[in-house]
Amino acid sequence: MKLFRKIATGLAVVACTVSFSTIVKAADEVNVAFFLEWATPNQEAKVKKMYDEAMGVKVNWTNFATGVEMTEAMLSGDIDISYSQGMTPFVNAVNAKAPIKIVDVAVEYGMGGTGCVVSNSAGISQANAKDLEGQKVAVPLNTMADYAFRMIMSHLGADASKVNVVDMEPADGAVALVDGNVVMSCMFGKNSIDKALEKGKMLMTTAEATAAGITSFDITSATDKFIKENPELLRSFLEVTAEANATYAAGKSDMNIIAKDAGMTVEKTKNQMAGFKFPSPAEQKATWFTSGGKVEGMLAFMGNMFATSENPALSDYSKTINTSFLPD
Amino acid sequence: MLTGFITILLLIAFLSAILYDRLVVKNRKIDAVFGNPERANGGYHWVLAGSCSILLLWLYFSWDIARSYYPQSANELCQVAKVRESVLGINYIFPIDQRTLKSTDFIERETKKINLLKIEINNADLNIKDKTQLLSFLTKSQLMIVALSDEKNLKKETQSKIDLVAEKLSSLTLRFQSDNFPEEKSTEEKEKRKKLLENQTDWGATGMEIPPYPVTKRGEKFESASIEMNVIVEEFFQIKNDHKKFIDLSLNLKNELKEFKNKLTESQTLEKDYLRKISKISGRISRSNIFPSKSLDSVERAVKEFDETQKVEQGNLRVIDTFLFPAGTIVASGETCSEQGAGRWLPKPTDTLRIFLDLLKPSVGYKNFPMLWYQFIGFNEVIDFIVPDWIADLLPGEYPVHSSNGEIEPNFKKHALNIVSGEFDSFKIPVPSGHIWDSFLRVFLGLSLGVIAGVPLGLFMGLSRFAKGYFDPVIELYRPVPPLAWAPLIITVFGIDNSGKVFLLFMVSFAIMIVSARAGASGTQLSKIHAAHSLGASKWQILRQVIFPNSLPEILTGIRVSIGVCWGTLVAAEFLAGTTGIGFVENVARKYMQYEHIWITIFVMGMLGLLFDLAMRWVIARTIPWRGKG
Repeated sequence: MKLFRKIATGLAVVACTVSFSTIVKAADEVNVAFFLEWATPNQEAKVKKMYDEAMGVKVNWTNFATGVEMTEAMLSGDIDISYSQGMTPFVNAVNAKAPIKIVDVAVEYGMGGTGCVVSNSAGISQANAKDLEGQKVAVPLNTMADYAFRMIMSHLGADASKVNVVDMEPADGAVALVDGNVVMSCMFGKNSIDKALEKGKMLMTTAEATAAGITSFDITSATDKFIKENPELLRSFLEVTAEANATYAAGKSDMNIIAKDAGMTVEKTKNQMAGFKFPSPAEQKATWFTSGGKVEGMLAFMGNMFATSENPALSDYSKTINTSFLPD
Repeated sequence: MLTGFITILLLIAFLSAILYDRLVVKNRKIDAVFGNPERANGGYHWVLAGSCSILLLWLYFSWDIARSYYPQSANELCQVAKVRESVLGINYIFPIDQRTLKSTDFIERETKKINLLKIEINNADLNIKDKTQLLSFLTKSQLMIVALSDEKNLKKETQSKIDLVAEKLSSLTLRFQSDNFPEEKSTEEKEKRKKLLENQTDWGATGMEIPPYPVTKRGEKFESASIEMNVIVEEFFQIKNDHKKFIDLSLNLKNELKEFKNKLTESQTLEKDYLRKISKISGRISRSNIFPSKSLDSVERAVKEFDETQKVEQGNLRVIDTFLFPAGTIVASGETCSEQGAGRWLPKPTDTLRIFLDLLKPSVGYKNFPMLWYQFIGFNEVIDFIVPDWIADLLPGEYPVHSSNGEIEPNFKKHALNIVSGEFDSFKIPVPSGHIWDSFLRVFLGLSLGVIAGVPLGLFMGLSRFAKGYFDPVIELYRPVPPLAWAPLIITVFGIDNSGKVFLLFMVSFAIMIVSARAGASGTQLSKIHAAHSLGASKWQILRQVIFPNSLPEILTGIRVSIGVCWGTLVAAEFLAGTTGIGFVENVARKYMQYEHIWITIFVMGMLGLLFDLAMRWVIARTIPWRGKG
């Protein structure tokens, strides 16, 4: 009986603490997800604590390896805002009806930051890309590199489903290419692509890919709950980002800080950012977020590309966009 | 329907197992004392009870029981979630889910920041004039808060707008309670809704799909309320506390800040820094839209009232939500709904089974590769794989050269090469293939190689001073390293094919086998060895007849341990460079949020592990039945 009473009291205490801790949770800090090896102007603002200053709360930055992990963290409530999440993981998340929304276009990039490198010894070029069918290719599945891979294959007339895809993270994929284990490796991240270029060349250069219409962009996403409860914080967040982008556009960004925060050399950072565009809020409103505009079109296109039987494509992707927080 | 039946069946089985134990087994007379392993024999009814409780827990926490008994509940809860979502923003302002008003929180935070900044500026190395100027900005920012918090300043118009919202909320609450809510829709809307409902599938028809449009009367009620609520909330957030005093203060401060900024020279970075901080604070305050604490009382009351009402209107749905949707609930996101919590990441047994059966079809498989099937492979390819090509090189003679008329006359050596390299026509034999088979084969190969190499070396180390001393450093150095620490190297050394993964598993089992064989060999009872010696046994006979059988228990236990660790390592190895295998399936499924697939892989791995272990238990029972008895 004594033991029973002890257990009962223990359980009661646990129940009380649990219920109290869930009730009281004011937003005195904001959790933001970001990528390493992906240089953006707002990293200067991040290092200089401009976000904390503007939002008036503590901003915690957590780096992630893939956008899928960002989504998982957002669904479990550990992350409020994901900065520069790829469209692929976002689309897969909303196909699975995850309660998150696009609030901003973070980075537009040609395939400079993402691309496929073919091994020099494979003897494959754009002309005979069909030879890739049946060969081993490293692709980090469900990332923007996966999207680039599928787009490039269809552009060059090869059947992506016949290629023997090996699921590898970019860093591993680069090593596999250098060692000759795969004939092509699709990656994102400057360090990985540079490593692969030691023994290979881009299947399509950035300019060629852009000319073929293969470009993409990363977005800023936020959870529904955060959007509803702390709209002013989200607005401040996007403002600081826009300010940082404007500073960069004016050529006043401190590249040393950005490079250090991104974990790359200054030269690599400059190279990578040369392939990036950071659309201003005005541009976004004018050309990106219009009804049937760039973002909606891309969402619908990718939504169908990655649809599975359990998570079919949505009929209307405009409902996964919320542009009301874009600064004027 | 079937799930509901099975649930009851499982419950009955579970309870009857307990009853059986109480009635029958308890009364059975046993003379084994406490500590005698015989007391643990039997107990198969507990196996049944254990399996039943796992399945029941799974059914319960995946919300499958809810789905089978209340198939409409998710659809209705979706509508409730829409209501909850619509009031999320307005609820957050009031102390409903938190302790204080959101504005109170804000003022507390900003006042703290202002005071800190004041101290900082006071102590800073600035000239007196700038210092007073900066401090006055901060004081003015505080005045802005005061101006916003003071009821006297609030415009009559604003207050009436607020009260209007409160009134609308109350009227919605009132209408919400009545039975004729929502009002009859126009025929056009009815048609539209009918069409939407026709295309709508049931809960879980495609995995985690929750039908978003209401089917029941109660659902319609909640949906309409959420739509109206969204409008009211929107209206509420349009109301701004923009009385003249505050606007004047705010504009004034803005201009002064600008003026001060223009006067600053390039070198005054400290001043600029403080100025930026101040303008951020004042900017936040001007956008904060604080209301006097009493002015929103009417809305707060109305919101709370609505909350109470909607809870009452949920009726038995609340009970279902609490008890049949454990650890999570349905969450709305705009028009769509999804399961969040246990229901999302723990798929329902019925869905899992359906998808598993689908995956098992060889034509479907996963990523164009079946789970477990067979394919026809020529016998020549098998020969090529098994027999090494250099055997042909060892034969006497030379390979043929082409003659002057360009023909090649095959000789014996060439024929032999053709055979070992598999270049001949042959019949085809069926060979298993698929993700499960690939993983199984990797574990089996790694394990067998580990046993074949590890057991002799372990015995040797247990018996010889040289071997113990010589091999000890290298083995003890690599054994404690977690196998995954090697994984990045494996890709570069062995490539991404099977050899790397098998090697990783080999390393795991090799270390375990050495340790267990060595312990077995050195643990043999000396009296047995002496007895064999005095009966005139040779060294080989002692090893074969005495030491090896006596170390078998240790070795077999070592194999059982290896199996477990090998499976663990295999999955991680397949994560690293995925081509086929169960670990690959799991990793890809994770990237596509296919939680059913993840659970299937976990289940398959569990079953395979169990299968291996059962096989080992059988081997143990056959080979060392005397264990623990002598």
